[in-house]
Amino acid sequence: METLDSLMLGFSVALRPDVLWYGFLGCLVGTLVGVLPGIGPLSGISILLPVTFGLDATKAIVMLAGIYYGSQYGGSTTSILMRIPGEASSVMTCIDGYAMARKGRAGAALCIAAVGSWIAGTFGVVVLTAIAPPLAAFALRFGPPEYTALLVLGLIFLAYMSSTSLPRTLLMAAIGLLLGTIGIDNLTGHFRYSFDIAELGDGIGIVPVAVGLFGLGEILSTPSATVVGEVMAPKLRELLPNREEWRQSAWPIARGSVLGFLIGLTPGSAHIISSFLSYAVERKLSRHPEEFGKGAVAGVAGPESANNSASTGAFVPMLALGLPTGPVTAVLMAALIVHGVQPGPQLVNEHPDVFWGFVASMYVGNVLLLLLNLPLVGLFVNVLRIPYSYLYPLVIMFCVIGVYTVNNSIVDVWIMLIMGVLGYLLRKLGLDPAPLVLGLVISPTFELSLRQSLIMSNGYWTIFFTRPIALSLFVIAAVLLLLSLLALIRRRADWRTKLAQAETGEAAQ
Amino acid sequence: MTLRADHVAGGAAIAAALAVLAVSGDLPFGTLAFPGAGMMPKLICALMILFGAILLVRGGASTPFSDVGWSDLPHAIRVLAITAAAVALYTTLGFIVTMSLMLFALIALEGRNLVAAALYSVGISLLTYGLFTVVLKSPLEQGILGF
Repeated sequence: METLDSLMLGFSVALRPDVLWYGFLGCLVGTLVGVLPGIGPLSGISILLPVTFGLDATKAIVMLAGIYYGSQYGGSTTSILMRIPGEASSVMTCIDGYAMARKGRAGAALCIAAVGSWIAGTFGVVVLTAIAPPLAAFALRFGPPEYTALLVLGLIFLAYMSSTSLPRTLLMAAIGLLLGTIGIDNLTGHFRYSFDIAELGDGIGIVPVAVGLFGLGEILSTPSATVVGEVMAPKLRELLPNREEWRQSAWPIARGSVLGFLIGLTPGSAHIISSFLSYAVERKLSRHPEEFGKGAVAGVAGPESANNSASTGAFVPMLALGLPTGPVTAVLMAALIVHGVQPGPQLVNEHPDVFWGFVASMYVGNVLLLLLNLPLVGLFVNVLRIPYSYLYPLVIMFCVIGVYTVNNSIVDVWIMLIMGVLGYLLRKLGLDPAPLVLGLVISPTFELSLRQSLIMSNGYWTIFFTRPIALSLFVIAAVLLLLSLLALIRRRADWRTKLAQAETGEAAQ
Repeated sequence: MTLRADHVAGGAAIAAALAVLAVSGDLPFGTLAFPGAGMMPKLICALMILFGAILLVRGGASTPFSDVGWSDLPHAIRVLAITAAAVALYTTLGFIVTMSLMLFALIALEGRNLVAAALYSVGISLLTYGLFTVVLKSPLEQGILGF
């Protein structure tokens, strides 16, 4: 009952015309970000972060979150119509979505993707509404030792879930942790690796690193000659799927929603992993697995639902625990902090209007996206007719503005350029930059909570094993680490290796 | 022995960690019970060396480094050089001039029509400047020319 009352408060905030306007704007920009290859939700949010500085916290987070889940909707459009994933989580949709389009069912594929996304997104928000407040209440029992254990578990979970190898993921996370130590040490006041550059005293920001690694890095590795612009625009009357297509999509949407939400709670690129896993699950459960790759409806419905549900699930640890599970939620957290709102267990009590307004805006946003994506698909597709050689310089310009405006610091823009080069090289070596960003984000909190724990215990590390919650979290982390190490030592193909093989195989098709 | 992507990644990680350790001399390590400012970075460097070494030892299954495609390298260098020049000039020349020049250079190097490129570059820069300054109330860099 209390939750319902709070949700009503949220709707009273979310349905205010000004908040609604920024939510709509976020969804619209998010759809465009999803449609355009080369700009992911992370770059989109980072670039527009400074624009929200003049807004209050509620409008800012509603708009930025709209970009995130809007991009999951928009990403399917290019996948289905052009076989180009507008967003990494739409890679699996390319396979059967484009095959459906080739069979003249482009409209049906778009409609199934949009409706599946809407159902999954709404399911995700309903579960978030139910579990985030009690989780936040539980997290109030957390002190520095529990946070240290939770962050260690997060890193180990990230490595365990990664479909690349354990040492590669942990290496990337370690580089991120190291970058996070740059700047003044909070406890002793020592300057670390700032090389007399005053701007580095505050440390390296998330935005220049994220925009450089993901935005600029993508542009550097995408010459315009490789971007093909053949667009297949469906007519409005072709949008409705037939009865058989609806029937085939029902269970994949349901399974994708649940699977996506659960994966969304875990650290890593959940929206990407969830779509790959959902595709694998649907193919495994299908009575006609041979149809996958040739236009199977389940191959569109499952992954599209999963990635939307995952993007909502990722908000649970961010809002309830104050922990980002990926680079996008890290930037969203940074946005809230800029506005003086600290995400975490206290958020529900201290800023109920922000928390519940944000939750309610996601219900509204999912409806807006459904209304935006189906009738206006032809309009969004026209954006793809802009030649890439005109488009990517524009993206670079927005990267520069976005990064510079956060602190009015040209040093940040140089950091972005360096990170762009690093992102390009990491792609060449097949290393995933996401754990690096996550490491960078959690590094200061991790170091601070570890050292605070030791101060609390007068230097005894046993504090981590005498507090039940911290001990439980460490035990789970140890089990996951052992499981990963066993697979590494035996060189056996476990489910993650098989998933990685499936990813490479499908992407290559 | 074939040089593979993981060998390069592992070697680079070890080299980077050693370089960081080399410049960390003045940071106090403290003790394990009471860590100093240097403990965390030094421990992370040790972890980087460990993971780098694992990649070096177990890198046999990764892609041969000679198979890594570099056909996009000229594009990357061009984009990087032009963007770096723009960043260097940004605070001096201001947003409109720098961004117009950067957009024009990037589009012109793609072999597009120069007049169209010039009109597009100036138009987009002015539009963005207006959008940020007037609509979003988020002023952009003005530079010595005053705009």
